[in-house]
Amino acid sequence: MKKLYARLAAFISVDHPSPGLKQLPLAVAFAISIVLVLAVPGIQVTSVPLSSVGIALLVVATVLAAIFTMLPKLDKWAIIIPLIDFVAIGAFRAGTGGILSLFAALLILPVVWISAEKGRGYILIAAAGTCAVLMSPYIFGVAKFESGSDYVRAFFSPLVYLFAAAIINELARQSRSQLRSIREFADEKERMLQRTFEYASQLEESEAKYRDAERMFRGLWEAVTEQSVIGTDVTGLIDAWNPGATKLLGIDWSKTQGQRFVFDFHLKQELDDRAKELNYPPGATVLNPGFSALVEAARLGEAESREWTYVREDGTPVPVSLSVTKRVDDAGETVGYLFVAADVTQAREVSRLKDEFVGLISHELRTPLSSILGYLELMRDDDEHPLSDEQEQYLGVAERNAHRLLRLVGDLLFTAQVESGKFPLDLKDVELEQIVTAAVESARPAADAAGIAITEEVDDSSLVTHGDPVRLGQVCDNLISNAIKFTPKGGTVTVSLSRSETSALITVRDTGMGIAESELDQLFSRFFRATTATRNAVPGVGLGLTITKAIVTAHHGEMAVTSDEGVGTEFSVTIPLAVQPATV
Amino acid sequence: MEDAMSVRVVIADDDADIRQLVMISAAKAGLEVVAEVGDGDAAWEAIVQHVPDLAILDVTMPGVSGLDVCRRVRADSTLASVQVILVSAAAAESSIEAGLAAGATDYLSKPFSPRELAARLMTYQAATR
Repeated sequence: MKKLYARLAAFISVDHPSPGLKQLPLAVAFAISIVLVLAVPGIQVTSVPLSSVGIALLVVATVLAAIFTMLPKLDKWAIIIPLIDFVAIGAFRAGTGGILSLFAALLILPVVWISAEKGRGYILIAAAGTCAVLMSPYIFGVAKFESGSDYVRAFFSPLVYLFAAAIINELARQSRSQLRSIREFADEKERMLQRTFEYASQLEESEAKYRDAERMFRGLWEAVTEQSVIGTDVTGLIDAWNPGATKLLGIDWSKTQGQRFVFDFHLKQELDDRAKELNYPPGATVLNPGFSALVEAARLGEAESREWTYVREDGTPVPVSLSVTKRVDDAGETVGYLFVAADVTQAREVSRLKDEFVGLISHELRTPLSSILGYLELMRDDDEHPLSDEQEQYLGVAERNAHRLLRLVGDLLFTAQVESGKFPLDLKDVELEQIVTAAVESARPAADAAGIAITEEVDDSSLVTHGDPVRLGQVCDNLISNAIKFTPKGGTVTVSLSRSETSALITVRDTGMGIAESELDQLFSRFFRATTATRNAVPGVGLGLTITKAIVTAHHGEMAVTSDEGVGTEFSVTIPLAVQPATV
Repeated sequence: MEDAMSVRVVIADDDADIRQLVMISAAKAGLEVVAEVGDGDAAWEAIVQHVPDLAILDVTMPGVSGLDVCRRVRADSTLASVQVILVSAAAAESSIEAGLAAGATDYLSKPFSPRELAARLMTYQAATR
């Protein structure tokens, strides 16, 4: 339908009517003229050749018009058709009575054609054509200038036609301009329509995507049943509640969403205690200290996961590990919080059982070891029945191994304590030089026996840290005994103590077998043993460095190691110094 | 009359070997062992019955723990003269503190050296003389 309209519009368009269409009225009018000439007795053919030439030229013009219509590429040459028409009308007029001919009126049709063309120049062409046609009887010699009216005829009528041509030209111009506007408008409308269609399809596409995302989200939301996920606004009013929350807290979303606050499900005392701990500055406006304490880290944009106690709808407390994160809008403003919690009842129970087990094992192992060591001592102390040297030596081996087993039990127990976070530290101000010297001195017999020189270098004897002297001693003992174990006869072990900014730096350097670089990062893992240790059959189970590092970490210190296989190893420990009261 | 002057001691430990070890040490120190028992209830009965000068109690025993026996002793004014030494496999300071808080005079960690125990017990014997 649209195509048909467009074709029709193109055909009859004022802007671009086809040459055929333009020629058609003149051809019809000419045919009527011929009929009139033949049928009406009063109309005479004054010159058959001129009339015939006129008719022939018109036929030629009409045929050309038809050809141009079929070949739109030649359109710009179509202007010759009305020019031929002028000649045809001129000849026909001259052959049918000259200046008295009835058919001067035919002139108007090619005038209209030419003057409607784009451009002012066509007005003059139309006027010139008119003038030529009106002058044709004189040109073809069928009339002569005789009176004043003949002169007037030569100029007056062309002048009138000139005006008519000018008006037509102007009207055509205006009409073309209007048409252009209408077309532009139509095009614009078309484009807008097109755009609307595009938007509609984009909308449809994004709606489908949104539905997919929504389905995905729903699926995920419903699938999380082991974690409670609660969403709130900035005041803590609940606006999201997943099935995990229903399961954990024993209340459905329909009774919480928009009706309850997240802190309703917390132990009030716990929230208050935490609020006190955070110690809001006096004068700070904190409307709900408990809730503020709950979201404190999230509000500051930190990721925090800590243990809290949820209170189920029936009043039962549930220990949970809770992560709080903030929800932000497009502008980055906080619009609420998300609370993701997992029940840690079982984890706590497992940890308690583990502690209990470790405690039991440790007791059960220490008691028989106590007997072994005690009775061994009794045998060696028996003055009435002194032992032979050989027996003495055998008992020494048994005793040494019993002690080894005892140390292992102690290490295991300690590792378990470290893991469960129950790490007892007896904190006091500790003079580090004493610790280091004591460790070096107690290792000296073993070093001497192994043929290793042990030296101590103390740069600053005033270093004091706040720590557990026994545990810090254990750190030094472990590192020094390791160094001795891994250093061949004739080597040296150097223990140094110095200040490093606000920390104390203890290093233990040996000239031992070293550790492969690829193993350095595993060195502090539980039960890890370096290849050099197993290859050289150095005794140990791989707990010493784990424990050493745990102690250092508990003192807010750091441990580092550098090693060169076959050259030696250096362990360094940095421990923050105690804050000394400012001297006045 | 050295015997009359001896420190009288009750020894309680569920492990017979350890109990024996403590007894040997006590004997070496010249103490008189008036009772040796294997659990907390028996220890309490022996203490009430003999009102010894000293009770050496293992902390971890079946039934009533040595710590509880110690508390009971301290709560009973008729037993004010009884001194208590607790023996335990737990060497943590917190355990020692708990023992001293329960009213123990001394605390001994396993494994202990019989020689050292005997030396320590001799100080009680000396104090009595």
